[in-house]
Amino acid sequence: MLAEKYADRIQKIFAKYPDRRSGIMDLLYLAQEEYGWLTEQALEEVAALCDVDPTQAHSIAGFYTMYSEKPKGKYWLQVCTDLPCALRGADDFYAALCEFLGVEDGGTTEDGLFTVEQVMCLAACDKAPMLQCNFHYHENLDMEKMKAQIEQWRAEAAQPEQPEDERP
Amino acid sequence: MTDTVTITIDGQDFEVPKGMNLVDAAKLHGIGIPVFCYHPKLDPVGMCRMCLVELGNVAIDRTTGAPELDEQGNPVIRWFPKLQTACTQTVSQGMVLRTTSDMVVEGRENILEFLLTSHPLDCPVCDKGGECPLQNLTMAYGPGESRFIYDDKIRLAKHVPLGKLIYLDRERCIQCARCTRFCDEIVGDDVLAFHERGRRLQIVTISDPPFDTKFSGNTTDICPVGALTTTDFRFGARPWELTEVSTICPYCPVGCNLNASTRMDREFGGKAMIKRIMPRQNERVNEIWICDKGRFGHHHSRHEERLLAPLMRNKSGELVEVEWPAVYKAIAKQLKAHGDQAGFVGDSTLSNEDLWELRRLAELSGGSPRLGLWPATMSGGDVVAQVGVGSETRLQDLGPGSVILVMASDFEEEAPIWWLQVKQAADRGAKVVVANARPTKLDRYASAVIHYRYDEAVGVLNSFTAPLLSGDGQLGQGNGWGALQSDLQNAEVTHADTANLLASAENLVIFLGSEGLTLEQHAELMQAAANLLIVSGHVGRPNNGLIPVWPGANVQGAWDMGFSAEATADLLANPPALWVIGGADVAGEDIRMATALEQAEFVVVTAQFMTPTAAHADIVLPRQSFAERAGTYTNGLRRVQRFYPAQGPIGDALPDWKIFAHVSAQMGGPRPPVAAGTIFRDIAQRVERYIGMDYTRLAWFEPQFPDVGGDDLYYGGTAYSNYGGLGLQWPAEAEAEQPQFSVRPVRTAAPQTDGLTLVPVWVLFDRGHLFEKSELMHHRMPQPYAAFNPDDAARLGLTDGDRVTLAVEGHELTVTAQVGDDNPAGAVLLPRRLSGDATLSTPAACTVQKIESMQKVEG
Repeated sequence: MLAEKYADRIQKIFAKYPDRRSGIMDLLYLAQEEYGWLTEQALEEVAALCDVDPTQAHSIAGFYTMYSEKPKGKYWLQVCTDLPCALRGADDFYAALCEFLGVEDGGTTEDGLFTVEQVMCLAACDKAPMLQCNFHYHENLDMEKMKAQIEQWRAEAAQPEQPEDERP
Repeated sequence: MTDTVTITIDGQDFEVPKGMNLVDAAKLHGIGIPVFCYHPKLDPVGMCRMCLVELGNVAIDRTTGAPELDEQGNPVIRWFPKLQTACTQTVSQGMVLRTTSDMVVEGRENILEFLLTSHPLDCPVCDKGGECPLQNLTMAYGPGESRFIYDDKIRLAKHVPLGKLIYLDRERCIQCARCTRFCDEIVGDDVLAFHERGRRLQIVTISDPPFDTKFSGNTTDICPVGALTTTDFRFGARPWELTEVSTICPYCPVGCNLNASTRMDREFGGKAMIKRIMPRQNERVNEIWICDKGRFGHHHSRHEERLLAPLMRNKSGELVEVEWPAVYKAIAKQLKAHGDQAGFVGDSTLSNEDLWELRRLAELSGGSPRLGLWPATMSGGDVVAQVGVGSETRLQDLGPGSVILVMASDFEEEAPIWWLQVKQAADRGAKVVVANARPTKLDRYASAVIHYRYDEAVGVLNSFTAPLLSGDGQLGQGNGWGALQSDLQNAEVTHADTANLLASAENLVIFLGSEGLTLEQHAELMQAAANLLIVSGHVGRPNNGLIPVWPGANVQGAWDMGFSAEATADLLANPPALWVIGGADVAGEDIRMATALEQAEFVVVTAQFMTPTAAHADIVLPRQSFAERAGTYTNGLRRVQRFYPAQGPIGDALPDWKIFAHVSAQMGGPRPPVAAGTIFRDIAQRVERYIGMDYTRLAWFEPQFPDVGGDDLYYGGTAYSNYGGLGLQWPAEAEAEQPQFSVRPVRTAAPQTDGLTLVPVWVLFDRGHLFEKSELMHHRMPQPYAAFNPDDAARLGLTDGDRVTLAVEGHELTVTAQVGDDNPAGAVLLPRRLSGDATLSTPAACTVQKIESMQKVEG
């Protein structure tokens, strides 16, 4: 349960806003961080915390593309393949990435670690190919760099869970 | 006039009220600006872009603050460079609109072209087809051809149940958000919302329970396309086949104006049959809303179990079918034999005409007529006559400065549309005070909530009145002021803030129910409310006074016709040998009545179904439902309203008035009247309150704003314009030029018992003998239960879900216990009409026994 596990963080979130329902977006991010994606239970928990109907939480999660209501890997790799990035080879990079991980476009690896996805502009065209992993940017990529990074993530995931720190 | 401004629409000048939005302002003068998302009862959002107009404002010289003038001395108009949404702009002096220019026409064309890119062309099978704003506006303003590629059409689910009563077709939805805004703004239960975005935007709910507010059906009316449909009417008929008949809801004291959409139907022997019930606009009553009970509760009118012929007991005691003349004679014979020992009970679903003829029959029977009304839970018809809410009260006018006190009522369950209107008044800035023994849903919107013990109700009102009389203030005209003042001199002021709030209110309306009160206690409570209203001066004018939350549609009419709850209580205390019962299922609802009927010598009942009451009877007379005949009901605001025959007759059933009139004729009375209207003429001559009314005058109507249901369905949805009559309200005595008020001290009755009190409560979706026949509503009817406070439950060794036996006045009732913090201590809340078993109508001491342990615990 979010309410028990993250009591302090939730307190800080609510302190930022005049009323509880305004904290809903921050809490949805928190829930997504905790559960990997927004399960119906997560939506219900967040709605209860914000004192709104679960349908309203569902609606907000559905509107914004940075929330996911579908199962996602621990590392959610969003590669920009819009035109300027494609001109710098982003689409080839994306195809190579999919092949390396052995997944289809939009798929999740069998070990549940990685989900790949093409997205629209992330406002880093000059540093393409680039991707966003759990909302952190990785820029000027090629497959060499990427393979090293993926190894690092795999190693990280094998470690026992670290204590939570603030989401930047 | 300072309250209006002048605007120019398409070259013509109009005076319009300040602050109005452009769509309404144009509409007020008959100029239609097409809309999809805008609805006059909802806040504007400007989402659909259909109402785009060219808009110009008077240019203001910034140095002088005066309007700039051109060479001819005319004000310079500064046009917005782009089209503006008319629904989100409010009028200002000198504003200029173009609603038919090329730019506007092109704008509308484009919006419709966009809306239709993914809208299915299934109008021929769509329930909305024929009364569809999208269809109509496409014909009027649409481009005719689409440039979009059919292969790119978005395909979405077409049969999505949003609850058990409402289906959503996601492809038809044009994302106007009227339904989500209705749930959010009007009902305050935001269980519908949008999901995703852009062309994939769609209505969803993941709430539990899903979309099942008491008002869900209204969303299908305001939906501008066929996206929301009811399970009741889905694929039931085409709108153009339907004939609209004005009628009045027979369920609660709000008296919602309804339209029965009927058609000659094969399923009903070619007779006119109600295919659906729709709201009919009456801005003084229900505006354009109705609750789901009124909308889906019409199935009893043609249920297969309807009684079709008169029944009389033969020598071996079985009920057998007989002809009408035989029963008239038999009843007359019994009445002549028992004469002054007859008791008469009229149901709250009986029309004024029925009750009048029942009264005439009682008068012909000799003795002083004993006229009881049913349900006999509320006293105070005389109090309402004195301080009832002023004529021309409109609940939608209550706003800042108004205070609404709702007391002793589970308001949403007892009078849903009033609840809706009070909730909206609170949203507008009216202060709502809720006083009850337990939390109710209205508490959410209340400025003050007072929870009292059931027997403290009168004391709460006294404590509001006391401070008003404590100074040297002038005493008013009339009886009892001195006595009241000395009585309240030392009264404890327990809720000083609320008392101040009520006293300083510009307008004060009190809604008074009777939860937890015996008839005697309730009589005191009504008087206590009258004292408060009179002493604080909140009587005799619109939007001030008392509104009783009567336990039925025509309880007010019953009081007006001379029936009373006290007479019912007296009939129970001194049972007559012969009972004549009109419409009511007294034995099915109340164990005391069931016992009384068992002991009676002879019982005559008019009934639609073989109810427990009918089963007790010696003669059962099939009565027509409200749908098959004409009549009038008088609502809780004392508005007398007509209903018309909508549906073809069934069997040999007759309206109650006709049955009673025929018996009267056998008793030496006049020839039976041929129509309800003739009886009403009689009423208008003999009942003072109804003087001057007749069927023609009751049928008066005037244009109402917002103009809903005209040719342009897009504006207000498919609620209907009112052509059946807006009804007439009889004035309270307080509205007389020199009213004589009588006040009197009222006492808080001592607690009835140290043990548990069984308190009957109302639930909207009950198993009353009429509503139960709407099978599509069964899923909304709770299982029978008795609710306990946790402390009481612990003392009795009960946990949630235990089966218990309640012993009351020598009867036993078995129900499931429900334990909840909200339930008041010392009371067992037992909803009326939930099980097939009779319960109680007024509170009484009871003992409780848990069934498994078989261990008797004294309550």
